[in-house]
Amino acid sequence: MKKINFTNSSLFLVVLLLVLLGGCKEEPIVYNTTEDVNITGYFEKYPEEFSEFKKILDITGTSGFLQAYGSYTIFAPNNAGVEAFLKAKGKNSVEELDVEELKNIVKFHLLEDTISTPKFTDGKLPRLTMYGQYLTTGAQNSNNVTRITVNRQANVVKPNVLVGNGVIHVIDNVLQPASQTLAQMLESNPNYSIFTQALKATGLFESLNKIPATNTDVETQWLTVVAESNQTLASKGFNSFDALKARYSHTGNPANPADSLNLFVKYHILKEAKYLADIVSVSSHATLAPLEIVTSSLLGQRVLLNDAVFNGVHEPGVEINRQSSDLSARNGVLHDSQGHFVIKVRKPQRVDWDVAAECSDLAKIPGVLRQRSLGTGAPAYNDSFAPRGFTELNDLRSPGVTGIGYEYGTSGSLYGAAWWGDFLTIPLGGPNRNPWIELRSPMIIKGTYKVWINYRSRAQSANNSQNLNEVSIDGVPLPRLMNFVQGRPSGTEAELEGQGWKAYTAVASSNHSGRLVGTIEIKTTDRHWVKFTTINGTQNTNHLDMIQFIPVSENQLYPKFHMDGRKLGPNGEPMQ
Amino acid sequence: MLKKFIHTILLTSTLLLGTSCNKWLELAPQDGIIRQEFWKTKEDIQSAVVGIYSSMLTDPLVNNLFIWGELRADMVAPGFIIQFNESNLMTNEILSSNPLTSWRPIYKTINYCNTVIEFAPQVEDPTLTTEQRNAYLAEAHAVRGLMYFYLLRIWGEVPLKLTPTSSDATLEQLPKNTKEEVYNQIIADLTFAEANAVSTYEPNNPFSKQDKGRITKYTVNAIQADVYLWNEKYEDCLTACNKIIASGKYRLVPGTTQASWFGDLYLEGNSEEGIFELQFDNQKLNSFFPLFIDANRRFIAADKVLNDMYTIDFGDANNKDIRGDMGSVRASDGAIWKYVGWTGDDARTLNQSYAHWIVYRYADILLMKAEALAWTNRGQEALDIVNTIRTRAHALVTSSQDPDPTSALDVSNYILAERAREFAFEGKRWFDILRHAKRENYKNLSILLDMVVESAPADRQQTILNKFRDFNSHYLPINDYELNTDKNLVQNPFYIK
Repeated sequence: MKKINFTNSSLFLVVLLLVLLGGCKEEPIVYNTTEDVNITGYFEKYPEEFSEFKKILDITGTSGFLQAYGSYTIFAPNNAGVEAFLKAKGKNSVEELDVEELKNIVKFHLLEDTISTPKFTDGKLPRLTMYGQYLTTGAQNSNNVTRITVNRQANVVKPNVLVGNGVIHVIDNVLQPASQTLAQMLESNPNYSIFTQALKATGLFESLNKIPATNTDVETQWLTVVAESNQTLASKGFNSFDALKARYSHTGNPANPADSLNLFVKYHILKEAKYLADIVSVSSHATLAPLEIVTSSLLGQRVLLNDAVFNGVHEPGVEINRQSSDLSARNGVLHDSQGHFVIKVRKPQRVDWDVAAECSDLAKIPGVLRQRSLGTGAPAYNDSFAPRGFTELNDLRSPGVTGIGYEYGTSGSLYGAAWWGDFLTIPLGGPNRNPWIELRSPMIIKGTYKVWINYRSRAQSANNSQNLNEVSIDGVPLPRLMNFVQGRPSGTEAELEGQGWKAYTAVASSNHSGRLVGTIEIKTTDRHWVKFTTINGTQNTNHLDMIQFIPVSENQLYPKFHMDGRKLGPNGEPMQ
Repeated sequence: MLKKFIHTILLTSTLLLGTSCNKWLELAPQDGIIRQEFWKTKEDIQSAVVGIYSSMLTDPLVNNLFIWGELRADMVAPGFIIQFNESNLMTNEILSSNPLTSWRPIYKTINYCNTVIEFAPQVEDPTLTTEQRNAYLAEAHAVRGLMYFYLLRIWGEVPLKLTPTSSDATLEQLPKNTKEEVYNQIIADLTFAEANAVSTYEPNNPFSKQDKGRITKYTVNAIQADVYLWNEKYEDCLTACNKIIASGKYRLVPGTTQASWFGDLYLEGNSEEGIFELQFDNQKLNSFFPLFIDANRRFIAADKVLNDMYTIDFGDANNKDIRGDMGSVRASDGAIWKYVGWTGDDARTLNQSYAHWIVYRYADILLMKAEALAWTNRGQEALDIVNTIRTRAHALVTSSQDPDPTSALDVSNYILAERAREFAFEGKRWFDILRHAKRENYKNLSILLDMVVESAPADRQQTILNKFRDFNSHYLPINDYELNTDKNLVQNPFYIK
């Protein structure tokens, strides 16, 4: 046999390896983290749609930064849209347009956030454009085809194109920022000539004529005007500015901030830029008139202002005319009111708030209110109204650790003296009970009130239960703490009142006590949130019967409240 | 010499050892059964048919049937921790990337049906009669018809996939079919099913659970009635309803007390009223616990359900519609009670979460008949049926209407309102609204728009109203995944702009 030559076989192996390995291709190394294009890259990719807009970006020098990383939303007009815009301007190409104007146009199409269509509402987008004006969205239907519209100027033809540095919405026209301020907009519309005159006479015209970018007063940068047209005013007998002035200007000088005409006009100017979608989203709005608010509600499709219930009486509000509202100005929004509305002068009025009855969340449960208890006793709280996990109801807020009970009875030391024989039972105090709870009051007219918390004192266990609470109204704490465990001391009515205690029930009961937690100035006529925050102790049996807001000048002790619902005076006579 | 010996030994042993390993070369799996070995006996067909039903219990089909049937309508409100995709469906901000627009849970069941329809005829079992084979096929055809009916109502135009996807070679890229074609296929499936389905599985057992959980001739009639009503074929709908009524097999569960009514119909299930119920049990729980009753429940009843639909007698708590408080809803916290109620005020626990999903029940047949009567100039008969339903439920006088029997629209609107009360949260509300709105070429679109005005979020009410004026928006978009994998599909035009 032949001897194997070691060198030869090694050589053979090396050659074999070379042949085999030579077949492997070089692995391509990926230098990019993603294949996604950025905004500019997307426009370059589809020149048949975006060559014109890309040209605008190049001229204005914005192509570069839209190719860099960031998070933007851009409304990109397609070529047809740019052409339509040029035609309207009487130009042949984008190069003929002024560069500064083009820059503004680009800024107006660009937002520094990623906003996709599910976030669109009937009103403005949640962010300002880089130009400094809001864009509005909506939807329009023609011939059974619905399109999303932007600023009422363009339709979205392709929404939500996701690219590396944001979102592109393709639109079919160029958006143009509003050119008029609120003041100019009103002045140029002859329908508002009387209202405009009033603005000028009161000096508010100037406040409405400022551009946000140069207005240093944050309070009035963005404003909303709810204007009354000449027809609306005429329907109330005001055929001219003089008639309006004669009726309201009691000082004769509308420029005086205390003048009623001045306040009338200020009452029509809401703070911040609020489209109708914003107006119906919250129930009250601050105006330029100091501490006067306008309330709003949506009834079907109708937007109503100041439609409210005071002490059980419905005061019909005025409707906003949708067609001539939601008009964007450089510094805000203009709406048109179909009715005449003024500040109502109201005197502070006592509010005897039966917390159970005036909590709509409870009242809607059938067969409960003033008929049977709901969730009494510790184990049932989780299934009682406002169960565990609820964080916000119409008239009630809590962190939702425990529910809230409602107790009703016709006799006995618990119910026999309580107003209407019922109360809310609110477990309070951490860690296994709600650390705080908030209840929403009925309408309270602005003014200065003493606040009484009327409850049935009860310690859950004989010796050591405590439940000491701080009461605050719209976040303003009242000076005196109250303890659901503690009853009133003995003494005469006058002595007790001096110490901030009273017996509030018509049926004598040493357990049912009213506690004065302080005096507060209610600044706006509105519904307010009253909050109980536990400072010490924890227990379930906090029996809250009623809360009273009594004007400081009025009698704090009477009427007293009977378990059958009556309100009685010192000699047992009925009282209101 | 020694070397030669060694070589011989090696060669021999290689031959001996190597040849014994023939299983290594076998391609069929060792731990399963392949199709060629499966379709042999009638038991094989039966287990495949049972597989169809079992696929309907598989998540997320029933979960999604609730979502598709209720979220876009007005009776459900967001709970504590609603998912983003669900809330977008409620506000009609629907993108094709939303996973709830995926029709896969439905096509999965259709594929089970297709498999039976394709392979059952190939079984050669001497003990299998033609009648028995056709009965199995009828079940598959009926379920397929029902599934396509859901697709038709939810997406409008969908691809008809009528052969099983049993291997890589049978993967197809199908285009969409028109609504008309889908409808014709449903009718064809149901016609076969009606002719061949059994009328009972246990002739001697009046309380047969199989008759509620499997397709019978009357289940097919129920689906037919619904399909015909959807396409405004009222005479056909009446014929189908009357077949069920004439069978005498079903009756309304008496509403003598709320507890007994609730117990029979929903708590126990398979009542004399049930026609077709998906049979969840303690082995196969439904997905309703986290949806309706968990501390982080995702859905609660809208305020208007109790206040405006059932209405409340504030004077007398005992005077109530048994379908309202503690029937469909627990008033104290707005919980959707139908599927989670146990005893008294107590809810089911997670382990008890197996309420049936009722696809059809006798009350549905009666009200479908009433609707068909209303549109064929027999308004008074229709109102009589509505009153039967209302009497059983102790409906309050405040929720009654007094429509002119000669006005088909008024009567049918009343039936729509009654259906909302009767079938609250049973996955029918959105389809009911849509059927009424689209009738006679969308003559009554206002039904849909009025619902939106009441239930849309205030800040986008106008946008949603305008969206609903585009009829294409009433159907869901095709999910992105399907569009990417099947290039023959064309997106619903509403969703590409």
